[in-house]
Amino acid sequence: MDIYDVLLRDFPFLLKGLGVALVLLALLLVMGFILGLAICMIQLYGPRSRFIQWPLIAYERVFRGIPIIIMLFIFYYGMSGLLDITSFGAAVLALGFRSSAYQSQIFHSAFQSVPAGQMMAARAVGMSRVKAIRHILFPQAARHAIGPWTNEFSSEIKETSLAYVIGVVELTRQAHYIITSTQGNVLTVFAVVALLYFIVNRAGNSALYAFEKKLAVPGFEK
Amino acid sequence: MSESLVLDVRNVTKRYDSLEVLKGISLGLNKGETKVVIGPSGSGKSTLLRCVNHLTKPDAGEIYLEGEAIRDANINAMRARMGFVFQDFNLFSHLNVLDNVRICQMKVKGADKKTATHRAQQELARVGLEEKASAYPAELSGGQQQRVSIARALAMDPVVLLFDEPTSALDPELTGEVVRVMQQLAAEGMTMVVVTHEMSFARQAADEIIFMENGHIVEQGSPDAMFSHSDHERTRAFLNVIADHG
Ligand SMILES: Nc1ncnc2c1ncn2[C@@H]1O[C@H](COP(=O)(O)OP(=O)(O)O)[C@@H](O)[C@H]1O
Ligand SMILES: [Mg+2]
Repeated sequence: MDIYDVLLRDFPFLLKGLGVALVLLALLLVMGFILGLAICMIQLYGPRSRFIQWPLIAYERVFRGIPIIIMLFIFYYGMSGLLDITSFGAAVLALGFRSSAYQSQIFHSAFQSVPAGQMMAARAVGMSRVKAIRHILFPQAARHAIGPWTNEFSSEIKETSLAYVIGVVELTRQAHYIITSTQGNVLTVFAVVALLYFIVNRAGNSALYAFEKKLAVPGFEK
Repeated sequence: MSESLVLDVRNVTKRYDSLEVLKGISLGLNKGETKVVIGPSGSGKSTLLRCVNHLTKPDAGEIYLEGEAIRDANINAMRARMGFVFQDFNLFSHLNVLDNVRICQMKVKGADKKTATHRAQQELARVGLEEKASAYPAELSGGQQQRVSIARALAMDPVVLLFDEPTSALDPELTGEVVRVMQQLAAEGMTMVVVTHEMSFARQAADEIIFMENGHIVEQGSPDAMFSHSDHERTRAFLNVIADHG
């Protein structure tokens, strides 16, 4: 059997690995989105108390300042003593927390690009702060955020491959299995894997770009 | 307190650190009155208007709208009854003209879309912009944006309108269209407080002109009294400067 037959035979495994990577990606992005937005809201509109603001700053710095591999080890090996966590669960948490630190910064600067007059006008007409944020600031901030968020998407799809190191059977690990079972052919297998990552990345970028165009209104277009 | 006052501002003070911006301002408006506030830059005019609807919270003093005091607890409901027109328009930039005029009715008053649309179209017609309903703020001139912002305020059926230098950010050739809308509103009996340097508007539409300086009301009176024979040297000096530049 040459490598092409092996690849054909084992392609479903690669797709399965890709599926795992995509689920991991989706979960970490959603977690990062929710947490990141919450952090940003507290930073911008929450209580000014240091006991609330400082821990958030520390959180952001820690999760952006530590290599993701170390973070994965800490969440998997470090926490497995405390709770029964799967390698997949640990990967979601480590990558999700880290993404939230990045996403909160994306949202933060997006909200700050909305001129102060928008909030003032919304409040002046009788909207509560929550309504003003939801109906006026958020839709504008979203338009500022989507470009940087697309970058975040692109880097996270690549980062999912690092879940390999704690044994998540995602795309890169499936590729590794194929390589060890056929001895060699590293280049061919990884070329296929690279292509798969690339396709997902481009597809995601195109979808986000289309969404950006759909949201574009005069004054907000790229 | 006179029961007929629509807006009653009583002894409002405001300071920023060591700077006393409002040193006890009182003013009252009956229904249908237009009062024009003039005064040099930094005299506290914007601060006063913002204190009226608590965009800036006064340190002391009371604001009554139709006899009801403004409190933290009722602030949103009270603001919904006071239109505010900003110097730099502050239209919601992600929404088209129609949505700018509709959204507050729908999100604040809970109006349904049909009612809000109808009302928005009425007010856009009033300011002469019904054909711009689907345009976005970035596609409009400053004068058109300001007229939309007036329509947005009017669509809430305010009992009083507050204007903070509505023409100051406009190119001179665009002030006329905004002033005409304001004149029309004054003539139709809208109750308005207008901070402006448009002396033609003040002369023609004001029931009373209030001259502010350094956080005080220096003098107030009818346009005729203020323009032709003010007793106050400061007022005369200010009006001369305005006349030279306007
Ligand atoms: N948020 C603020 N913080 C500190 N000082 C302010 C603030 N807003 C206004 N001021 C000061 O208050 C004074 C009055 O300002 P303002 O009400 O804008 O005057 P006007 O509208 O008459 O030009 C100015 O000296 C201004 O610098
Ligand atoms: Mg001002």
